[in-house]
Amino acid sequence: MYLEFGTVLAFTILGIILLMVALWLQKLLAPSNPSKLKQSTYECGEEPEGSAWVQFNIRFYIIALVFLIFDVEVVFLFPWAVVFRELGWLAMVEMGIFLVILLVGLAYVWRKGDLDWVKLNMKNARGRYRRFAEDPNSNKNF
Amino acid sequence: MTNLTSLNYLQPELILTATILLMIVVDLFYSAKKSRRIGLWALAGLVLAFIYITVSGFNIPTALFLGSISSDPFGIFFKVLILLATIMTILVSFSERDLSNQRVGEYYILLVIVTLGLFFMVSATDLIMVYLSIEVVSIMSFVLAGYLRGNRRSSEASLKYVIYGAFSSGIMLFGLSILFGLTGSTNFFDIRTGLMELQNGADLALMLSTVLIFAGLGYKISAVPFHYWTPDVYEGAPTSITAFLSVAPKAAGMALIIRFFNSILGGEGVFTELEWGTFSAIPWTQLLAVLAAVTMTVGNLIALRQTSVKRMLAYSSIAHAGYMMMALPVLSQQGVYGIMIYAVFYLLMNLGAFYVVMIIANATGQEDYDQFRGLGHKAPLLAILMTLFMFSLTGIPPTAGFIGKFYLFAAVIKAGPSFYWLAIIGALNSVISLYYYMYVVKTMFFTQEKTSITQIEFKGISILVIVLAIPTLIFGIYWTPIADIVHKSLAIFIR
Amino acid sequence: MIIASLFILFLPLLAFLIQIFWGRRLPRQGDFVAIAAVGGTLVIALGMLLAILLKFDPGFQREAAFEWVNLGAFQIKLGFLIDNITVIMLVVVALISTMSHIYSTRYMGGDPLYSRYFAYLGLFTFSMNGIVLANNLLSLYIFWELVGVSSYLLIGFWFQKDSAADAGKKAFLTNRVGDLGFFIGIMLFFTAMGSFNYQDIFNGVANGQLSGIMLTLAGLGLFCGAVGKSAQVPLHIWLPDAMEGPTPVSALIHAATMVAAGVYMLVRLFPIMTPDVLIIIAYVGGFTALFAATIAITQNDIKRVLAYSTLSQLGYMVMAVGTGAYTAGFFHLVTHAMFKASLFYGAGSVIYAMHNALHKLNDHETDAQDMRNMGGFKSRMPITYWTMVVATLAISGVPFLSGFISKDAILAGTLAFAGHSPQHFLVPFFGFTAAMITPFYMLRLIYLTFHNEPRQTHIYIKIVESPRAMTVPMIVLSSLTFFAFYTLPQFNPFAGNGWFTSLVTAQDSLVTGFAVVSAHEFAEQVHHNHTLAMILSVSLAGLGILFSWLFYLKRKLSADAWAQRSGFIYRWSFHKYYIDEIYDRFIYQPFLRLTDKVGYTDWDLYDQKFIDGFGRVSEKLARLSGTIDWEGLDKMIVNGIGRFFQRSGQSLRQAQTGRLQNYLLFALLAIIVILIIQVL
Repeated sequence: MYLEFGTVLAFTILGIILLMVALWLQKLLAPSNPSKLKQSTYECGEEPEGSAWVQFNIRFYIIALVFLIFDVEVVFLFPWAVVFRELGWLAMVEMGIFLVILLVGLAYVWRKGDLDWVKLNMKNARGRYRRFAEDPNSNKNF
Repeated sequence: MTNLTSLNYLQPELILTATILLMIVVDLFYSAKKSRRIGLWALAGLVLAFIYITVSGFNIPTALFLGSISSDPFGIFFKVLILLATIMTILVSFSERDLSNQRVGEYYILLVIVTLGLFFMVSATDLIMVYLSIEVVSIMSFVLAGYLRGNRRSSEASLKYVIYGAFSSGIMLFGLSILFGLTGSTNFFDIRTGLMELQNGADLALMLSTVLIFAGLGYKISAVPFHYWTPDVYEGAPTSITAFLSVAPKAAGMALIIRFFNSILGGEGVFTELEWGTFSAIPWTQLLAVLAAVTMTVGNLIALRQTSVKRMLAYSSIAHAGYMMMALPVLSQQGVYGIMIYAVFYLLMNLGAFYVVMIIANATGQEDYDQFRGLGHKAPLLAILMTLFMFSLTGIPPTAGFIGKFYLFAAVIKAGPSFYWLAIIGALNSVISLYYYMYVVKTMFFTQEKTSITQIEFKGISILVIVLAIPTLIFGIYWTPIADIVHKSLAIFIR
Repeated sequence: MIIASLFILFLPLLAFLIQIFWGRRLPRQGDFVAIAAVGGTLVIALGMLLAILLKFDPGFQREAAFEWVNLGAFQIKLGFLIDNITVIMLVVVALISTMSHIYSTRYMGGDPLYSRYFAYLGLFTFSMNGIVLANNLLSLYIFWELVGVSSYLLIGFWFQKDSAADAGKKAFLTNRVGDLGFFIGIMLFFTAMGSFNYQDIFNGVANGQLSGIMLTLAGLGLFCGAVGKSAQVPLHIWLPDAMEGPTPVSALIHAATMVAAGVYMLVRLFPIMTPDVLIIIAYVGGFTALFAATIAITQNDIKRVLAYSTLSQLGYMVMAVGTGAYTAGFFHLVTHAMFKASLFYGAGSVIYAMHNALHKLNDHETDAQDMRNMGGFKSRMPITYWTMVVATLAISGVPFLSGFISKDAILAGTLAFAGHSPQHFLVPFFGFTAAMITPFYMLRLIYLTFHNEPRQTHIYIKIVESPRAMTVPMIVLSSLTFFAFYTLPQFNPFAGNGWFTSLVTAQDSLVTGFAVVSAHEFAEQVHHNHTLAMILSVSLAGLGILFSWLFYLKRKLSADAWAQRSGFIYRWSFHKYYIDEIYDRFIYQPFLRLTDKVGYTDWDLYDQKFIDGFGRVSEKLARLSGTIDWEGLDKMIVNGIGRFFQRSGQSLRQAQTGRLQNYLLFALLAIIVILIIQVL
């Protein structure tokens, strides 16, 4: 048993050595000719504007989360779509339930106002932003 | 059992799921003020599930969903317990002052989701299911602990809880993965078979895995040394949630520990027989015994020095986890029996004590001992009820707590001389706990009035306290019905 | 039947709970709740009585039990046993309790703790019903103690008075002495039979599981309980003092029901008493009957006379059990409950009138209970007078009244007893002598209170008849002394086959290994002696009445002169034979000295040295543990390992508070430590 772990250890050490050797070799062989363009961060061919370590608006996270959920939904849908003829009505109903649950989530997000990007017009604010709209001093960190 | 037929055994969980979805939808149509009504929906769903479970009663132990969860009287017993705790929590939340000035729809929704998670926790027989259910419970608890958004302590509690929870589940996951690596299966029973086929050389890995997994489970029942989150979180969270966390996840954690160790490390032992029989390759029973002793000692000693009654109760809940753990390493059916009886009584008395604190906190805004000074003169009934709960938590007859402790100690002593030291430590701890519990009583009755309470309203939560006090007293005198139910629940799924 | 008895048991408890928690807030301080509850029990009890009368089956029995404790090998079941005796006793308790409640609404009216008083009465009724309904010794014992508690609370109800508080304590402590024996007896039975249930114990005795000297000891233990509760010599001292309690309480608890509990228990358990125990019982009972009667002659406090009379009558009942005529004893219990409660209500009525009169006169010196301050009240309080006269005649054993039938049965029993064992001739002697003294002192009470010219005219003119809430219970109970209530369907005071005697029949003794007389045989002997007993008792009662008439009404003989002439006998009787003083000298004082010694050892040596030391050690431990938890965590790990952690994980640190880090680290360290220990 310990021997098996020993193999693992040996592999780990070997892997590290191989990596080091490879890196060392490329450093040895490759010509080093840095330029400003080469060293800049790649950002879709555009010149980067400032550091990437900036504070993002919290709304990005919410949108990203919501996107993630509905993106993953598709992962479930594809395999089902391939075989749903064989599985029959049961699978149809099950997938229906799954989608309904997701829809409830969507409705929740929508109602809470997390899908609204522009909230500058506080008169039309919904959900948790309404309180702020009514009394701007009540809760600043929404 | 296949997935579809398994659903027949899953109706309570389905009821809860439907309730959750319904509550989310309904909440969308309620204004902030009306959002309290979501609690009524939650209550309806929980009561429905409760009725369903109690009416359908115990069944023959069965494996569901291809062995990933099981349905057995043992699990059903804890589900009933969890449902009771959640129902009480929702009832008291209606009158919790801290919650009164914000939107509370999600609060109730989260509580029901925790309940659902706990349901799966007590019936999981698969490592994946164990992990998933613990995560469901934990993540929802993080949010609940931090539900008081304007309150810094609540937010701090939540953050600490998140990180500690993530840490523990990470460690546990590591342990689970080793177990999977050793045996190639995630199912408890396959793992047991696999472990028995292993050569002796795997002991070290197995032990590592056991310790790591216990770190995760110990965090759930706040066993020392994995208890550090407990006081901070208990203090910061809304009191109703503190009471809930000190009871329901703890009971579920105990259930999971019993099931896990019984199914995997219990060797060929069968629950229905008196002895478990142990998987003797690693000394995990000694580990549990030592941890139980340390847990109750540390919990009690630190509780001695608290100035806040709520924090004192938080530490004392650690000690009580220790008492319950004490009956685990003796590996007897009687031990499990004692733990289950104790879980019932602990639910009653601990919720009761927390709710008295909550009444005081609602009236004064603080939970210090100072607020209890002279309570015996200002609100004699409340003080008497608190005294009853304190007596019960100490384990003084004729209260339910005494009966619970009696069964625990009886199980330990019956296990033979090698466990006498544990029983002695337990008894010494009871003496230590007497000091700080009685200090509450002394503060209430024998000190100058200082409490700023003028009038305790006799409604809502007070009635609930009385409802909890009556069985605390009655089960101290006549506990046969509970003992019978527990006895019938002593059937666990074994393959 | 069982459901009905559940109501009977728990209605008073419910009333108690309502009264104790909300009594003060209810209108009329909630007395109607208490009256409704006991009234309900009376209705149910009467219904049950009707049911057993319709069945008319001497062997009627219903039993229900539930499992209280089940620890595998060790099980305790509690439950109810309902037979004819139970039902009759329930009716007695419910009736007297109801009457006392009604009576108290006026007698206790205006008391600052009015609602509390009714709460205690409810607690008492609950506990007493519990005793009556018990089917096992354990619940009997529990309720036995509960009546003790409620009796204590009610005797000391006016706890501002030292004498009342002391009397309560005395009653409680004296009962403890008896209960110690009682408990030992119960435990002897339990260890032998493994059960508390009456039937199991009966079967066990019949099978010889407990026999010989041990059975005698166990029976004596049970009898000790009865001696305490039914105030037999030598534990009788608490009952006269218990008269410090409110009079309705004296009527209910210290005359009719609780003190009869000892007799009730003996009646229930008669079949397992060995002949040796029975002889002791007979002597103790007979002696008490005579002893108390001789004290009653010389007392001047109206309630104390009644208290000693109660002692004497209880002695009768106990003696009846001892002689084997235990059904007669139970019969006397029932009839005595009626006339003695009525007498107490009468006395209460007089005291109430005296109090009001003294209050009007602004007189706080005169004793409202001293008969020497009374006299001639007959014309002022006719209802009280006549009900008391009827009850007095009943207790005196005058024909056509209930006391005659029951006392007669007991005396016939003593004759039969002496018939088959002539060496115990003293027992009938006690009985018959007491039968002569009883009418003497009872009529003395009547004459001193109601007849002749008033001794204190200024008080006399202020005396008025008591209100209806007090007179009605008196009328009801004194009318229940009419013989026909107990002999129906026979309308003949000498008939031996009324419903009562037909339904309550004697059981054979179950004791093995002793020569015992069978119930049938005994009944034959009683039958033979019946006429003789009747003639003797009537003529002796007549003699007592005659002397009383000569002494106190006609004054042909001077009581004072006779008291002078009898010298020390009078003084002894007046001072209750100095029993209290003897106990004080030989038991209390030595015990107090012993307590001092023990107290010194316990406090100065044990507590200060050992316990406090223990406390100090655990406090140190607590401080140590706290230090490890806070100081160790905060300082050591923050400064030591924390610095290492800081350097290695700058980015991680941003997401964590300082403390949490330590928590995690500590947990991790713990895991490692555990692992190392496990490996080693």
